[in-house]
Parts: sequence; C-alpha cells; structure tokens
Amino acid sequence: MRRTFRLTTYGYLFPGLFFMGIFTFIPVFMSAYLSLFKWNINNPEPHFTWFSNYIEVFKAPLFWLVLRNNLIYAFTTIPLSMSLALFLAILINQKMGWIRSLYRGSLFYPTMIPMVAAAMLWVWIFNPGLGIFNYYLGFLGFPKIEWLYDMRYALMGIIIMSIWKNFGYYMLIFLAGLQGIPSHYYEAAAIEGATGWKQFRYITFPMLAPATLFVFIVAIISSFQVFDQVFVMTQGGPGDRTNVLVFYIYQHAFRFWDLGMGSTLTTLFILGLLVAIWLVFRVIGRRVYYEV
Amino acid sequence: MKFNRHLRNKSGLHLILMVVSLITVAPYFWILSTSLKYRTEVFTPTPKWIPWPINIQNYLEVFQMAPFHLYLINTIIVVTGILAVQLVTITLAAYVFSRKNFWGKEFFFFLFLIQMMIPIHATFLPNFLTLKRFDLLNTRVAMMLPFFASGYGTFLLRQAFRQIPRALEDAAVIDGCGGLRFLWHVLVPLAKPTLIAFSIISIVSHWNDYLWPLIVTDTPDVRTLTIGLGMFVQQESGADWTLLMAATAFVTAPMLIFFLVFQKKFVQSFMLSGMKG
Repeated sequence: MRRTFRLTTYGYLFPGLFFMGIFTFIPVFMSAYLSLFKWNINNPEPHFTWFSNYIEVFKAPLFWLVLRNNLIYAFTTIPLSMSLALFLAILINQKMGWIRSLYRGSLFYPTMIPMVAAAMLWVWIFNPGLGIFNYYLGFLGFPKIEWLYDMRYALMGIIIMSIWKNFGYYMLIFLAGLQGIPSHYYEAAAIEGATGWKQFRYITFPMLAPATLFVFIVAIISSFQVFDQVFVMTQGGPGDRTNVLVFYIYQHAFRFWDLGMGSTLTTLFILGLLVAIWLVFRVIGRRVYYEV
Repeated sequence: MKFNRHLRNKSGLHLILMVVSLITVAPYFWILSTSLKYRTEVFTPTPKWIPWPINIQNYLEVFQMAPFHLYLINTIIVVTGILAVQLVTITLAAYVFSRKNFWGKEFFFFLFLIQMMIPIHATFLPNFLTLKRFDLLNTRVAMMLPFFASGYGTFLLRQAFRQIPRALEDAAVIDGCGGLRFLWHVLVPLAKPTLIAFSIISIVSHWNDYLWPLIVTDTPDVRTLTIGLGMFVQQESGADWTLLMAATAFVTAPMLIFFLVFQKKFVQSFMLSGMKG
C-alpha cells in the first residue's frame, strides 16, 4: 500500500503519543539532563557540574552492593521461577479433566494479590518466633533463622516470596504456548520412535521459544523493578543487604532529597534496562521462530 | 500391565501437583485463619490452621482504625479512570498501525514498543517533578496520568486488528462506512476478546500498583487500598497480627473474588497476554 501523509492518521496516534511523550520519553531526557546537575539539600538551586554525579555514584561502595543485590535477585528468581513454571506447565498440560482448573487456579492466584499484601503476609510467615516458615523448616531439621532480620538471609527471604508471587503467571504463559503446539507433531514423533526427552528437546522446547522469550523479557523487567516487597518487608535492611536499584533511587530522591543523584541513578537504570533487553533480543531473539 | 503403568505415572503427576498447589495456597489460607482469630490464639506453639472460636471483630476494628471504604472507592476510581482512557488511546493507535501506511510508521511503532520496556519504576522521579510543576500532586488524576498510554495494549490490539480480513474494510468503505465508523462498528466488536483481556490485565495490575501512588499522595482522601494497607502497617507497628491480616485479607479480597467467579476469563486473558508477537 502507498505511504500517505494524512493529518487524520497522525491525529489517531496523537493521544497515545502525547501521554507517552510526557510520561515516558521526556522523563528519560529530563533525568539525563538533570543528572548533570548538583541539586540537593545543600544546593537548593541546581548547578551544572558535568559528570561529577556519575563519578560519585561509581565511587560509592553502597552502589555496588545495591547492584550486586539486584543481580543476585535477578539471577536467582529468573531461572528458578521460569524452570518451576515450565515444569508445572508441562504437568498441568497432561489430560486430567476438571481437576486441572483447580491446580491452575491455586498456582496462579498469587498474581492477583497486590505485592504489598503478599509482602505483609510473608513478613508474618517469616516471623522468627511465631512464623510458620521456621516451624515447618524445623521438621526438616533446619535451625531457627531470623529471616528478614539476618543480613545473610534477608535477601533470600525476599527471593522466596517473589518466586511464590510470580511463577504462576509465567506458568500460564508457558501453558498457552504448550496448547499451541499441534498434537500431530507428537504423533509423528512417536511413530518415528522419539519419546520422552527427545520429544521435549526437538518439539516442545523449540515450539515454546516465543513464549520463553516473552517470559524472559517480562522476568528481566520485573526483577529490576522490584520495590514493593523491599519497602514493606525490610526497607532495604538489614545493613543494606536487601537494598535494590529502585529502592536506592527512591531513597536518594525522596528520603535524602538529592534530586541530582536520583536523576543520575535513574539514567543509569534506564540505560541498563534497555541494554539488557537489547542483548536478550540479539542473543536469543533471532533464534526464535515467529509466525506472523 | 500397560494400564497399571499409566495409573502410576498419573498418580505421580497428581502427587506433585497437589503438593505444590497446597504449598502455594497455604500462605493465603494462613492470612484468613489469622485474621479470624482472637489475639491470644495467635501465640500457640504449633500453628493452628482452623481458627476456633471465630472472631469477626478484627475486620470491624480495622474499619474503625482506617478509612478502608474510602481507599476502596479511590482505588475503583483510579483503576477505571486509567482503563477508560487507555481503551481510547490504544484503540486509535492500534487502528492506524494495523490499517494505514504512513510516513514514520516504523519509527512511531518503535516508540510504542520502547514504552513497554520503560516501566514507571524507571521514570518516577522526573514524573514526580512534572506533576509537582503542574500542581497535581495529591490528586487521583496524578495516580492515573502516567498510565494513560500503553505501548503494550496498542501492540496487543494491533495483532487482533491485523487478523481481521481486509475484505471487510473494502466492503465497509463501499457501503460508506470508513474511518472512525469502521473502527467502531467493525473492528472493535470483532476484537472484543482482546479488549476484554487487556482490560482485565490493566485492572489487576493497577489495582496492585504501589510505588507510584506512594510517591504522589500524602493524604488519606485520595489514597488507594495498597497505600492504605502500607500506612496501616506502619501505624500498627506494635504488630497486632490479627488486625494486620484482617486488613491484608480485605485488600486482597476484591481481585480474588473476581478471579474465583470469572476464573476462565482471567486465565484466558493472561494466557493471551503472552501470545506471539
């Protein structure tokens, strides 16, 4: 079809672009611009200092700890919740009648719960004295752990609750992918003598690639925007062991009122996120087969 | 023989699924159980799963301590406000992306895709400054504004529109039904499942929003349920667990009830959300 230049066409795009421009794109440039200024309690009038904020960020040991915490969170929650989700999706996809919707509902419902409420619930479950988590771990021979109050275990506590909260949604996406695989592929494979693992390796896995890519991207974005559970469960503590990027930005902006630093961190955050997603598309995106 | 093996395989399957389901459901059951206990019943050496005697008083007390009914109304206003505007913006944009060919199409589409990748968590600071400049802090509109455009919704709906045969458009145009009328009378009704799916996802995710409402509000009049719960927790830091869990249960209830009633629709919607691009 011929390309046109009609004002009405752009008129249809305008409402979306307008809000997107004001609340997504201008903010990106605004924080990049503000990141070049000192603007905090001591300097109520912003003044231009080139890249000194960036140097300050990279020099702060806390920034590296925060980055490390967030990477640990990402590198544990993403593979664990994705593999759990895939495993359960394959199980649930078997023929089993009405009971399937019962399983599906009980595995998926945490997605419906606000993260804040889920976090509150897990504070109660992790309670060192009265919590059921320590009680049942005790049966397995674990010693009492002070979960959210212990520097060594607090992040693990947050990881456990986040997996519980998120895997159900990923499972559902995998399930949708599985249901899209025509059953005659498996029938043909069975005739050729391919069973079990081979069917998974050569049919299920490649056919699930688009669903896997989608889940992966969603998981990356959500693991770098983790905030609610940290805010409610630990406030970044103890000893900043659960401080993560968004919480760190929040602290600088709304606790210390250091808007220059906050903007610098925001800029780094957006750059990091875009680079991570771009890498994922580069490395695995082009191997994914899409039907358009 | 073969049948036996089949049964054994299946029982292993059900065993795994039942154990995992129990583990995921237990935490929520534990909220309900705690919220219905008397204060002293919480301090038992072994967890008491069934609360007896049942105490509904906790819920009434929570309502006396904080205006949760107000929070509920605010949440409903914010969530429906966001959805209403989103439906307009995504429908219009998806229409031109799926049906028109115009200068800059790839560029504009790229912008919509990028917006999907930049969540509010990455831009809350500059957005806060913008709203402050326009004196919009502490309003319900402030909680909605950043979500009015949805690259994701546009993308989802564009896929749905593209699957509607072009011949329909030709027929409609011949009958004198072009542009907006065609969009409204032909495309929108045919893309209803996608619109419903997007609506459910939008409602659930904004019902659960926390960071953004936390930043732009500081008075109870405009606060939403999630913020109200967060405040209640701080106010109740003496840790009266029966009250805290009653508040938590109340905040989670509306979405879970919806989910139980319309499970099939919810599940279909979330499944559709990850469908191939």
